Amino acid sequence: MSEKKLIIKTENLKKDYKEDGVVVHAIRGIDLTVEEGEFSAIVGPSGCGKTTLLNLISGLDTPDEGKVWLSGKLISDMSGKELSDFRRDNIGFIFQAYNLIPVLTVEENIEYIMLLQGVPKEERHKRVLEILDAVKLSGLENRRPTQLSGGQQQRVAIARAMVSNPKIILADEPTANLDSKTGSELLDMMAELNEKTGMTFLFSTHDKMVMERAKRVIVLKDGQIIDKSEIDIV
Amino acid sequence: MLLLKMAFRNIFRQRRRTIFTSITIIFGVALAAFSIGWADGTYNNIINLFTKGWLGHIQIHYKDCLDKPSLYKTIENYNQIGEKIGKIKGVESWTPRIFSAGLASLKDKTSGVRIIGIDPLREDQTTSFHKKIVKGNYFKDGVKNQVLLGKGLANILHAKIGDKIVLVSQGADGSIANDFFKVVGFVSTDDEMYDRNSFYIPLKDTQEFLSLGNNVHEIAVTVKNVKKVKEISKKIAEIVHNPDLTVSPWQEFAKDFYKAMKADKGGMWISLFVIILVVAVGVLNTVLMAVLERLREYGLLKALGTRPKDIILLVLYETNIIAFFSIIIGSLIALAVNYYFSIHGIHLSQSFTYGGMNFSEIMTEINLRSFTIPAVTVLLTASIVGFFPALKAAKTDPVKSLRFH
Ligand SMILES: Nc1ncnc2c1ncn2[C@@H]1O[C@H](COP(=O)(O)OP(=O)(O)O)[C@@H](O)[C@H]1O
Ligand SMILES: [Mg+2]
Repeated sequence: MSEKKLIIKTENLKKDYKEDGVVVHAIRGIDLTVEEGEFSAIVGPSGCGKTTLLNLISGLDTPDEGKVWLSGKLISDMSGKELSDFRRDNIGFIFQAYNLIPVLTVEENIEYIMLLQGVPKEERHKRVLEILDAVKLSGLENRRPTQLSGGQQQRVAIARAMVSNPKIILADEPTANLDSKTGSELLDMMAELNEKTGMTFLFSTHDKMVMERAKRVIVLKDGQIIDKSEIDIV
Repeated sequence: MLLLKMAFRNIFRQRRRTIFTSITIIFGVALAAFSIGWADGTYNNIINLFTKGWLGHIQIHYKDCLDKPSLYKTIENYNQIGEKIGKIKGVESWTPRIFSAGLASLKDKTSGVRIIGIDPLREDQTTSFHKKIVKGNYFKDGVKNQVLLGKGLANILHAKIGDKIVLVSQGADGSIANDFFKVVGFVSTDDEMYDRNSFYIPLKDTQEFLSLGNNVHEIAVTVKNVKKVKEISKKIAEIVHNPDLTVSPWQEFAKDFYKAMKADKGGMWISLFVIILVVAVGVLNTVLMAVLERLREYGLLKALGTRPKDIILLVLYETNIIAFFSIIIGSLIALAVNYYFSIHGIHLSQSFTYGGMNFSEIMTEINLRSFTIPAVTVLLTASIVGFFPALKAAKTDPVKSLRFH
């Protein structure tokens, strides 16, 4: 494991939220490293800071203190446009819900990022068909999100996150709105894609069953990683 | 391209709201286009009617004869002047006139009259005078001392066609002028007041009767395009080149009327503004609602790397697509309505009289500006009004909007 490259590194990350005058310490000093190709889970109860941590890592949110390196690059050094391009090209993000743009078809949703990247049309179409095959949704490319089940929608989200071959896939409770069978199928699929592509997967969950499929579990409690509880399941 | 596609689909997503917005815009555009067509129509109809009816578009007098008329304020060599005017580009026709007052008697009836000397041929060419004859005939060539009586005057005098009327007045040489005039017809101009004392005589007879030599009091000119009246007036003044003569476009010799017209046009702009306001509020309301409902979507778009300016575009496309199609429909409706009323006219519940013309029906005008003005205004309004919700959409914080509870 040690000869592998670090792909995510955070140092003393802190983030407070103020709501109705009350300050919430959402993240209180997190040092985390993730190596290339990992399939790891951030676990912890609701409100412990999983979403915030993933948002900070992806650069969607900015920390009050601390630093984030992705592939060795300090993202706080980047300008807004630079960061947005970097995120687009290097990170695939799967949200807990509302992942898809309702007015776009499955194919259009998946090719959206490639369109922003300026990938030519034939190439986009080819890759959409490939990735749909990989997430076992072949033939559904012209459906609208509302014509899909919850599990299918999340698989489209995975396809979209992966289609432009980013180095890192961040998924915030991707199975939270799915029944357990669909959820575990989705996880198996992610694990398989992780094996096949070598992409780094970092996902959050508070679901035991999902946890069990992770190769590494990072336990979060009240905005902090609980020491020594980094259990290597493998 | 994709943005445009998304904008289109968003429009169909909220069908009821789209329809509501469209109807507001369609209604606004149609109403605005109609009111402009109607205002322009009124303006042009009235100018045309009253100027062509009698007054003409441009009048030429000796100095201040228009404000302080006098038998002695005459135009010499009217024929030469008229010929020069007739050659100016844009001039349609011209006609000389003489005005004076006199006393007319028939048997035991006597009435004060306004003597109007007209050139039978030119007057008819310029103001279609023969059409105003309601009984009898127009002046015949080579017959001396014929008169056309205003209808009201004929009633007062109990005159019949063929009657001989005694007319008394004062000649320019100070002598008493009196002579017989044979009634050949009755004239109705829709202005009853005017018709109660109009005594029309051919120009030559009038000049002789009043000892005016070859002089006249007025030259009335009509032009081909009413909008060029001022331009042509200037040219006439230049070409006539006589400091004793005053050339007045209708805006000057019908000052009060011109002012009333202008005030009326101001009213049109106010109503246009109100319509725009209604459209603006309607658009703002629907766009703002749509944007607020979709903040999560805009957050997602931003999280995926969409630039804020593209999100602004997306929202603006949506408003402008709706505006665009509504403008087309609204304009088509207005075109149909304006077309109908340009042929059939709109009957006024209360007619009014001015300059010897009675206005009871207005034709709308079909011109480009009745459509371009509302279209441009609505597109601009929609863009300006849509910009603020668009900005709000573009500013959506993905972290907040995508938070799941
Ligand atoms: N935008 C926000 N405004 C206020 N409080 C927030 C905001 N986002 C998160 N929090 C608070 O920060 C804490 C961590 O939230 P979150 O990262 O969403 O936890 P989790 O994803 O583990 O459920 C919670 O107490 C939450 O209420
Ligand atoms: Mg969360």
